[in-house]
Amino acid sequence: MKKVGVVRFLGTNCDRDIWQACETKGYQPEWLWHEDNFDINNYEAVIIPGGFSYGDYLRCGAMAAKSPVMKSVVEFAESGKPVLGICNGFQILCEVGLLPGALVRNTKGMFVDKWIELKTENPCEHWGASVKESKLPIAHGEGRFHIEPDQLEKIKKSGQIWLTYKENPNGSVEDIAGVLNENKNVAGLMPHPERAMFDWMGGNDGFSFF
Amino acid sequence: MSLEENLKKYRISKGEYGLICDQLGREPKGIEWALYSALWSEHCSYKSSKYHLKKLFSQSERVLQSFGENAGVIDLGQGERVAFKMESHNHPSFIEPYEGAATGVGGILRDIFTMGARPVALANYLCFGEPEADRMSTLVKGVVSGISGYGNCVGVPNISGQTEFHSSYNGNILVNAFALGLFRPGEKVFTSQAEGEGNLVVYVGAKTGREGVHGASMASESFDDDNEAKKPNVQIGDPFFEKLLIESCIEVMEKGLVVAIQDMGAAGLTSSSFEMSSNGGVGFDISLDEVPLRDSRMTPEEILLSESQERMLLICKPENLQAIKDVFSRWNLDATSIGKVTKEKRIKLSWRNEVLCDIDPDNLVDNAPLYGPEDRPFNAWVKTNRVGSKDALINEVKNYELRLLKCLSDVRGCNRNWIFDQYDQRVGAQTIGDCSGDVGVIRLPDSERALSVVLGCRPYMMRLDSAEGGKDSIAYPSIELASLGFEPLAVTDCLNFGNPEKKELMTEFVASVQGMSEQCEALKAPIISGNVSLYNETIEKNVTSTPSTGVVGLRDSVYGPSNTIKKEGQVIALLSMEQLKVSGQYAEIHDNQPMKACGEINTAATAGFVIDLRSFVLDNKVSSSKVVGKFGLAYTLARMCMNGIGATISTDDSSKLLESTTEKYFAESLYQVVVCLSEDDFQKVNEDDYRNLEIVNLGKTGGSKLVIDDNIELSTEKLIEAYKSWGEHFETLA
Repeated sequence: MKKVGVVRFLGTNCDRDIWQACETKGYQPEWLWHEDNFDINNYEAVIIPGGFSYGDYLRCGAMAAKSPVMKSVVEFAESGKPVLGICNGFQILCEVGLLPGALVRNTKGMFVDKWIELKTENPCEHWGASVKESKLPIAHGEGRFHIEPDQLEKIKKSGQIWLTYKENPNGSVEDIAGVLNENKNVAGLMPHPERAMFDWMGGNDGFSFF
Repeated sequence: MSLEENLKKYRISKGEYGLICDQLGREPKGIEWALYSALWSEHCSYKSSKYHLKKLFSQSERVLQSFGENAGVIDLGQGERVAFKMESHNHPSFIEPYEGAATGVGGILRDIFTMGARPVALANYLCFGEPEADRMSTLVKGVVSGISGYGNCVGVPNISGQTEFHSSYNGNILVNAFALGLFRPGEKVFTSQAEGEGNLVVYVGAKTGREGVHGASMASESFDDDNEAKKPNVQIGDPFFEKLLIESCIEVMEKGLVVAIQDMGAAGLTSSSFEMSSNGGVGFDISLDEVPLRDSRMTPEEILLSESQERMLLICKPENLQAIKDVFSRWNLDATSIGKVTKEKRIKLSWRNEVLCDIDPDNLVDNAPLYGPEDRPFNAWVKTNRVGSKDALINEVKNYELRLLKCLSDVRGCNRNWIFDQYDQRVGAQTIGDCSGDVGVIRLPDSERALSVVLGCRPYMMRLDSAEGGKDSIAYPSIELASLGFEPLAVTDCLNFGNPEKKELMTEFVASVQGMSEQCEALKAPIISGNVSLYNETIEKNVTSTPSTGVVGLRDSVYGPSNTIKKEGQVIALLSMEQLKVSGQYAEIHDNQPMKACGEINTAATAGFVIDLRSFVLDNKVSSSKVVGKFGLAYTLARMCMNGIGATISTDDSSKLLESTTEKYFAESLYQVVVCLSEDDFQKVNEDDYRNLEIVNLGKTGGSKLVIDDNIELSTEKLIEAYKSWGEHFETLA
């Protein structure tokens, strides 16, 4: 059975939802506690769930990025294995430099919770490979993707723009909802696929993302 | 300080002072003043309301825990249980809306997980003044941000809410927070009953600071012009700390390390220690020196009365203290032993080697004043605002379409997305639907059944008649549940009233509570927890008496009807049991016509209606339904068209009580429910199976217009546009 490491910081609150999603897909989830390093050979994939790690003190994900577990996550990612960051997880991956750009406050300055439609610009073989279009829920106050113009050109050319919003809910540059690293093994997105696993949830497009 | 000054400072009446001297056999001294001030405040002691609350219908087969603990608990069967409660945070929210609302959420969450239940749903009942009233825009924004900021960070979804606007709340808003927690099969229910001589009294959570000192007594008083000075009485919350507290408490409870536990809420360490020892029939020896402080210069009185948030008090066996400390340390929180349990039922508080007080906790808890009819007099209820059955309820409306559009765009009728789009409604991945539905729904992960939460109380019904309003505060939400296939199981309440020392107010209180209890008894849905908030008045003006309720229901399937029309070509019908016809809120607010009604709600008949309604919905594959509520039938039908599919309606037989076209469209007849089902299923209905329902065919769903008789023809697009007018009322909100 595929072992998936699920990272937990103080303040992560979508961890149990991710655990549930992993079990639904037949994987074997295990907790990766923020204070501990882990052996990268033990896991086939690592997921960083959403939430408010460290209460979003300082900047979203800033403190989490400095924790011991992230050292192992970086090592894991650099070995080419798949990593997925959802919402706060995406913010953390940007803070630690595994993904380009940064997530900042929504343009309207308010938290936004709703279903949105997404388009896959460049598929990721590890996460949602077959997904072309999807409808997923978002729930964030700091989901606006920001990147310097020269970096934007670079990621466009290298096909690192993963997902875009059909109707931009937060002012993200070029409607970007999710990005990939150069090697296409690390993926980050603001929407929550674990909240769209079954139709009783309001939609099941999230199922194919894991 | 003179006696007079002390009585004023500690908000103790002369009569209460007499009682204290009787209990102690002498005058109170030192820190005893502060203890009595906090524990005998209205907020902590319920002294004006307890006499009446004791008579509430509060038990059923499902009830595992009713009043007496931090939250009520019911058994859902299949090993699943839920704990839930509702609480007010009105006074702090009016002074400091963000923190007032945020800490309201924090406080109610602690009442849930202190029972051992993981919180899985939040809901909130908000009453604001008119949008143009002084500060109101700021208050709306602050309260919503506070609920959002706290709830989202702590990771509990907001799944339902109700927001009212009326001038009576201009000087005193209401912020009531509801929370529900789940016990999965095998998980234990914890209580606050301390026990075990030699066991340790352990303080866990955030450090204690100066905020909120005297918060409880502040909440037990009316507002005057001096609100700014009350600012330091408002508590400050940190949802990140609360999240850590939830995880660490649940962990130590799961590991069997906890004997008893209670949160530190109103009156902080004082109330939790006194209530735990009193409930358990034991004593505590507490050393205030051990309490973790943010400011080492705090006095014992400040330590005792601080309402710093995110703290709990627990009892453990001495051999388990280290294990508890390890868990809390892992979650970055303090866990310190501050005392021990003693056999003799006395609370000894010491500080710097001096015993500051040595007192029987029963004096302050069980033997707190209880004001019955002599001290808080009231009259028997006399029906109010009634007219004859042939009298007009509302003035003739000339332009029906215009009136309908005005109802949709009225601040009381327009959509609330601005509010709940700021709430995380789906964390936990068990939410079904979202806040746009009439009720909140979550899935129970083990049995895969659906649990619903809906809030109740329609203030305009309370302005009509306290007894009817009380019954309606239970009946209406129960009907909302039944119309979606849920069985109402139990209730929590938050009784928001004005000054109980005024006879008219006390009369309203007693009448409402009696009405509520009677309807609960008829439904066999007991009130198992709740809160009373009195003195909601500003410079002598009372709010509308508002007994808000939270009703919990259960349904076998995660699938059920929606509140908007989903299928074309279906029959749209009205299921009724008409008992009371009411003029309604639009006329009250815009035409300056006070509420008028004819009839009376019969609680037993209504309970029969609820049962048959639910059966009808489940038996006949009803695809969508909506209870006819505020603004009447036309508005209800328009709301059902919000998905874009319209309907063609004939109101010839829509009501036995409402006669004129104006009334059929815009007055209310309690109770009626609109349902949609296929032609085939409708034909198969055997009316004899539903003796409590009058079934009338109104027409068909379909098309892109709402057509009502020859009088109303509006595109669903136009209806949707009118409905989205929140921004016009609150232009200044970002």
